[in-house]
Amino acid sequence: MAQLSMQHIDKIYDNKVQAVFDFNLEVKDGELIVLVGPSGCGKSTTLRMIAGLEDITAGRLLLDGRDVTATPAKDRDMAMVFQNYALYGHMTVYENMAFSLTLRKENPNVIHKKVLAAAEILDLTSQLNKKPAQLSGGQRQRVAMGRSIVRSPKVFLFDEPLSNLDAKLRGATRREILLLHKRLKATMLYVTHDQTEALTLADRIVCMSMGHVQQVGTPLELYDTPANRFVASFIGLPPMNFFDVAVRENELEGKGFSVPLGEREKGLLRPYAGREITLGVRPEDVEADGEIGMKVFSNENLGMNTLVHGHIGGVNTPERKLSAKLRGWCDYREGDEVRVAFKRCHFFDRETGDAIREGE
Amino acid sequence: MTANDERTLRLDRMRFTKNKASANLALLAILFDVCFFISIYESDVGAYYYNILIGASILYNLIFMLAAFLCSEGVKNYKIGYAYLMAALGLGQLARIFIYPMRSRGAVVTVQDVSTAVMSEGQFAATVTFLCLSAACLLAGAAVGVVRSRALAAHVASLDSRAA
Repeated sequence: MAQLSMQHIDKIYDNKVQAVFDFNLEVKDGELIVLVGPSGCGKSTTLRMIAGLEDITAGRLLLDGRDVTATPAKDRDMAMVFQNYALYGHMTVYENMAFSLTLRKENPNVIHKKVLAAAEILDLTSQLNKKPAQLSGGQRQRVAMGRSIVRSPKVFLFDEPLSNLDAKLRGATRREILLLHKRLKATMLYVTHDQTEALTLADRIVCMSMGHVQQVGTPLELYDTPANRFVASFIGLPPMNFFDVAVRENELEGKGFSVPLGEREKGLLRPYAGREITLGVRPEDVEADGEIGMKVFSNENLGMNTLVHGHIGGVNTPERKLSAKLRGWCDYREGDEVRVAFKRCHFFDRETGDAIREGE
Repeated sequence: MTANDERTLRLDRMRFTKNKASANLALLAILFDVCFFISIYESDVGAYYYNILIGASILYNLIFMLAAFLCSEGVKNYKIGYAYLMAALGLGQLARIFIYPMRSRGAVVTVQDVSTAVMSEGQFAATVTFLCLSAACLLAGAAVGVVRSRALAAHVASLDSRAA
């Protein structure tokens, strides 16, 4: 297994477009890191640079302390699983999984043992004689993973491997990847734009936007203490509600509502007294029976919860839009008035978007 | 790893790999057969007898190529029946030596009042060689196919009995 170190990595394409800016990350042995962010944020480019499929414009990539920045992809001892599986259609599952080892001219008996072991791990033993076309999407992705496993690489790289699967299969395959990671204890880097995958799989998440790393931390850290407004809006479903509010002595004053401040918040927001900040409230932190009036415009029952969308004070403007995830089954109709309260709030600097935290 | 383990693994591998040796030998046999029928076109035929012999040979070639190709695909998947058919085709190739090349060797026909040998010695040697090579490939491929198919069947049976 392996430790990976990315130091000040930049990627600038020939057309002068910079895709990645000063990427720094230390990946510990056996860690599963998820790179998450919207399309075009540079996460796949970063993964491809690590794999050796893209040149690194500036910076260094170290694998177990050895500089592999200029090492060709084939010599990096990393295996990549692609979104579109990249299986050979004319070969059976067995042949697909054995292919890389056959190219290396390994002993056929050794190859056989490795393929059977990988097939056992991935529950593919009964599919070994089938061609990829005879398999479901999830099974094909498992074959692609099996092809990586047989190589026993130092690092596994996954580039949106579940994007081609339907929702149910995605969930099942996600659990399989997690089990695989626990079983192999391998160093893995996983790219996705799906925050559910990121939150459920990762030991640590790297949240990216526009080529910049926004925050690195455990899933709970990113959810609970987002570093800035981007991370707060990206992590969490439905996304966080944001309001521009003025900081008063004892409360936050927004358009059509006010939020009383506790002693801790007062101390935290003292430097912002009299100024405007951004207040962030997760829909799951909104509870019924409060002081803030919301006029409902849509009601989505999710079973255990109900997602209620409305406007604060009944004024239909984007800055007053509020989503609330209320407990239980609710049957609000359009135009109903609901009284809500904010159980927990996040504060962001209005100019920089950075989170306002204690000790900063 | 002991020699016995090696053997077991080799057998087990056959569950997932094709019998490429037999299949390729069958294809090679077809290639030599093609060389054979190209070489018989060089014959100077001035009599119906040789015309019919060559015509029949061409017809048989078509059937042979189809059958040999089917055998190639069959033995690739360890189907023992195709290995036996392959052996029969090999014996057929040997038998053919005694039909066209042997009967034409030294025969003379008159073409436009000129006496001509149906087949030169060189042509005779070439046709016999091609038929022999084709037969050898088929028989070798069939032998490999029979041995491997039986070994695989026994191995699968032992796995099944162990699972039961």
